Amino acid sequence: MTPPLDHDDIIELVREPIDPRPLIDHIRAPEDGAIVTFDGFVRNQSHNRPTLYLDYEAYESMALGKIREIALQLHEKYRVHRVAIVHRLGRLEIGETSVFIAVSAPHRAAAFDACRFAIDTLKRTVPIWKKEYFEDGAVWADGELPPAPVATRGAKPAS
Amino acid sequence: MALPLAACSRSRYNSLVAPVSQTVRVKVLFFGRLKDVFGRSEDSLDVNDASTIEQLFALYVQRIPDLAKYRSSVVASRNQEFAAWDTVLRSGDEVAFLPPVSGG
Repeated sequence: MTPPLDHDDIIELVREPIDPRPLIDHIRAPEDGAIVTFDGFVRNQSHNRPTLYLDYEAYESMALGKIREIALQLHEKYRVHRVAIVHRLGRLEIGETSVFIAVSAPHRAAAFDACRFAIDTLKRTVPIWKKEYFEDGAVWADGELPPAPVATRGAKPAS
Repeated sequence: MALPLAACSRSRYNSLVAPVSQTVRVKVLFFGRLKDVFGRSEDSLDVNDASTIEQLFALYVQRIPDLAKYRSSVVASRNQEFAAWDTVLRSGDEVAFLPPVSGG
């Protein structure tokens, strides 16, 4: 895996409530002109069933690696200045933030595009799962199957 | 650590005459609904040398037949990177079976 470069990003998995303010303050710099944030929080229903709460679990070492890869892609593709991506694990109540993403850039277009790319990619590739709890039971949420290599033959060997 | 001579000769030289099946130990992780079906999140298993991730999954299906129906909706990782099912396992590998992800 590519070692993380020193971009002064914040990449974290946490079990406490996420406070967006310090994250935004951290990525805000005089050379920037825009910050775009994404606040993903717990909805009160799923497929029209009232949700009681959610429980998130992660393959933590791999999830951190995959989120770092996303941050690196934001720097390479969108030339953003700094990135903060924080995902919460454990039990979350209705309305609580499960994921917070903030990106800073000199101009708004890059910040908007990068933030959208970050949440879309996170939902598709980062090994985190949520279980939805209802009055009458609990289910693992429908998710997306991450893209994985189909076969090693012909691919470059993983070292 | 140096192996006793007897162990060396059994593992290396005798195999030239009569192949002795070697094993490698791997750590295996289950997440989400797979963890519920398997009943635990972590296991450690000795598999035959040159086994693939596909064969590793099949070993668990033998133990817990219910796992079979999840095969088509699971991806595998080896040492925290997504991996193809024909990936050959090495000693000390950490393999995880990952159901569709639902973070965010």
